[in-house]
Amino acid sequence: MLEQQLLNALTLGSVYALFALGFTLVFGVLAVINLSHGAVFMVGSYAALAMVSHLNAPLWVAMIGAMVVSGTIGLLVDVLVLKPLRARNAPHLIPMIATIGVGIMLTSAAQGIFGAEVLRFPEEIMPMGDFMVGEVHVRALEIAIVAIAFVLMAVLFTLLKRTQLGRALRAIAESPKAAYLLGINVEGLFHITSFAAAALGGIAGVLIGLNFNAITPFMGQPMLHKGIAVIILGGMGDIRGALIGGLFLGFAEVISKAYLSSQMGDAVAFGLLFLILLVRPSGLFGRKLERKA
Amino acid sequence: MRFLPSLPKSLVLVSALAAAGLAQAADIKIGVAAALTGGAAQYGVAIRNGFQLAADEINAQGGVNGNKIQLVVEDEQGKKEEGINVFKKLIFQDKVLMVFGPTLSNSMFAAGPVANGAKTVVFGTSVTASGITDIGPYVFRNSVMESDVLPVTVATATKHYKLKQVAVIYGNDDAFTKSGYDVFKKVLEDQKLPVTTTETYVKGDVDFKAQLTKIKATNPDAVICSCLAEEAANIMLQARGLGIKAPFIGGNGFNSPKLFEISKLAGEGTFVGSPWSNTNPAPANKAFVAAYVKKYNAEPNQFAAQAFDALHVAAAALHEVKLSGDLAADREALKNALPKATINGATGPFKFRAAVTKTGKPGGWDADQKPFIYVVKGGKFTAFEGK
Amino acid sequence: MEWFNDFWSTYSTLVFSVGVHALLALSIWLTLSCGLLSLANAAFMGIGAYVAALLTVNLDWSFGTVLLAGGIAPALVALIIGAPVLRLSGVYLAMATLAFGEVVRITVLNLEITGGPEGLNGIPLATEGWHIALILAITVYGLARLRRSKVGRAFEAIKEDEVAARLMGINVDRYKLLAFSLGAFIAGVAGALNAHFTFFISPREYGFENAVDILTMAVLGGTSSLIGPMLGSSILTLLPELLRSLQDFRSLVNGAVLVLVVLFLPKGLWESRRIKAFFKRLKGGQA
Repeated sequence: MLEQQLLNALTLGSVYALFALGFTLVFGVLAVINLSHGAVFMVGSYAALAMVSHLNAPLWVAMIGAMVVSGTIGLLVDVLVLKPLRARNAPHLIPMIATIGVGIMLTSAAQGIFGAEVLRFPEEIMPMGDFMVGEVHVRALEIAIVAIAFVLMAVLFTLLKRTQLGRALRAIAESPKAAYLLGINVEGLFHITSFAAAALGGIAGVLIGLNFNAITPFMGQPMLHKGIAVIILGGMGDIRGALIGGLFLGFAEVISKAYLSSQMGDAVAFGLLFLILLVRPSGLFGRKLERKA
Repeated sequence: MRFLPSLPKSLVLVSALAAAGLAQAADIKIGVAAALTGGAAQYGVAIRNGFQLAADEINAQGGVNGNKIQLVVEDEQGKKEEGINVFKKLIFQDKVLMVFGPTLSNSMFAAGPVANGAKTVVFGTSVTASGITDIGPYVFRNSVMESDVLPVTVATATKHYKLKQVAVIYGNDDAFTKSGYDVFKKVLEDQKLPVTTTETYVKGDVDFKAQLTKIKATNPDAVICSCLAEEAANIMLQARGLGIKAPFIGGNGFNSPKLFEISKLAGEGTFVGSPWSNTNPAPANKAFVAAYVKKYNAEPNQFAAQAFDALHVAAAALHEVKLSGDLAADREALKNALPKATINGATGPFKFRAAVTKTGKPGGWDADQKPFIYVVKGGKFTAFEGK
Repeated sequence: MEWFNDFWSTYSTLVFSVGVHALLALSIWLTLSCGLLSLANAAFMGIGAYVAALLTVNLDWSFGTVLLAGGIAPALVALIIGAPVLRLSGVYLAMATLAFGEVVRITVLNLEITGGPEGLNGIPLATEGWHIALILAITVYGLARLRRSKVGRAFEAIKEDEVAARLMGINVDRYKLLAFSLGAFIAGVAGALNAHFTFFISPREYGFENAVDILTMAVLGGTSSLIGPMLGSSILTLLPELLRSLQDFRSLVNGAVLVLVVLFLPKGLWESRRIKAFFKRLKGGQA
């Protein structure tokens, strides 16, 4: 049973990590808590579904398509909403509230277009097959989800660590003003970050949609809460922290459901979060982030 | 405006504007408060469709005693404040004869007292929580309570599968699934069926693997599930994915074709007790299903069926009422006529029974309907013929 | 008069809601005025509502005492959690208070006495229009006095620059705790009032969305004066009713209004200077 639970935790944790990655990326670079990230996640799910069921696209095309659609929404939010707010130097609370509005709009638009009912991916397109490893029941789908999540995270890490783009982004994360003075195209990178973060959120939406096979306009909200928990655990704006925090939350949730009580699972999660914040405001795994938003 | 003879001109004018162009002299205005947006919209929309279908049918046959039924539909969003606001609007502004709805039990607890206080019949079609009809004598519902259905379901399944022990899973933050669980718990105690483990999840959860892995380890003969159809389908799929072979036993929430659209054959052998099933061959039900599919190009569900029947129940009562034009008197007359109304509808023969309230005070009226026990075969509900 | 009776019986709940939401918006205005972004007010409202409702239903206390208890209970909770929580600042405080709110919600969900997810029903109708009007008037008067008092100036100083305020000898921690607890008190009373005209309360009414709603009301109206939060709460309460005809896309408009206000009226609606500046900018062709 333990092995099975660990696999459950790994699947859940890697999707959390993938979701939180975009969330924390935006915070790290743009210094905005983007509360529309949950809605973007939901849009990704619907975009893939629409491509699969209306355009008969194969799943991998739909996944890329979903990333493009949700990435574009992220970009639009940055250009239309966040950029004007940056331009007038609005206090950090303000962009956060604006993204709440964006989230409401996306959610109700999705409900208007697709209805409130739970939709699903057609069964034919799902990677099928399952097998036993010892006592553990493994589905091909789960392997695919964990693999995709880790590949995408690896790509992002490499980008940030090894490329010019990554160095520029890290410079902005330290100080946008200094980065600007160094001749870095700060605005352009803000746009790229917004696109990439939303694309990551969108693909997380597709993966969750596939794994649990339930897509609703409201699926983003609980995910957003988990995302907040993850980036607090991992340290806000900390990319590696999002990975560790995501996996940690996945494991904590599954283990507490398995060995404590499924009743208080969420209370334990948020109670822990609350305590962690009091003891270590910069997160369990994060380093102290001194930058004032 | 036959319901407004004695009111001042300004008011008549306001009401006439409100009903602009729709109201005719002999219309019977009936309010429908349903959650058309928000999380409960998936039920609310089906409910509205059920009412609309019934109203069209009744009106096409000449209405009730020659009076056409005019539905005034309002969205209560599944929120309690909205429920109250919508009820007040329907009762005091639109001056409807009676109100159907709201969709969720929570909203009924908030809005029901408004209607009861205004001496107006409120008729719930999807509110199964216990205590609803404690609100007062103007509260009616045709939603069959779990406490009437589940004992039969569990007893039948126990006999069929020779169950020795069962596991339980339910949603613990939802009034519907939680009250269903409470009933299951009591039934299992009464029938002395041991429970291996009790697991919970919260609304919006899509991952039940942790709980199911735990259930699997306790090796139950069946899994009892107080869940809504969507969640139930996911639970079944994930249970089969984890290699759980035990059959499921479900509550009212299972009663939706959605269950099999999603779970396909994962739900084979599931026992469900229900006031309605899409495959019930009774002519009234066949006619309902065919008409619904024709009008909405979608399969009806239990919520649509109960709404459809509810309006027919109200129409049956209205047949016996001589409308005087005095709104208060007409509302009172309807309240007195409704308990005697019976129909043979999509959900089978229906009549009311007086609710037994906790306080002993006179309460409202609950559904008195015999549940059907279904077992799932080939991805369909099939009537269970006990051996 | 008959016309009024008719209007009142239809819309009294809506008017009550406007009043209660105004109290909630003022409660978060208070913490904001001290530079604290707390998202715990929905949870405080819930604590107040549950305490009050339970006292009414089980012990049959008089409504006045019940309201007072509904305010004191969350204020006590705020005092207890305040000391550690208020050391956090900015988004960290927001997140911690949000997590606290979730803990409260889930606890209520799992307690027997609160009725769990089924909530508490059968709460008698006790709130009357004048209760809300009176409490709102007292609150506004009190807050207006407070603003101009030494305490209000201390809040202002902490909001502008916490370090400087500390150097000036202001006991920052104590003033923050005062704002936090007083905000909790107001939110709790609002919750108690609400519980006694909706017959029913359940844990889902005090979650994250509601915390965000309360914040939105204050920000929409503008936090530079007391009128702003009240204006914002009135608009956000009435707007959905006025937009009824839009059906499915009603909340789309709600969201859009929020974004547009943040974009074009950064200090909220109630900032006449800003509105003028905005039109000037429009003329200048920059907007």
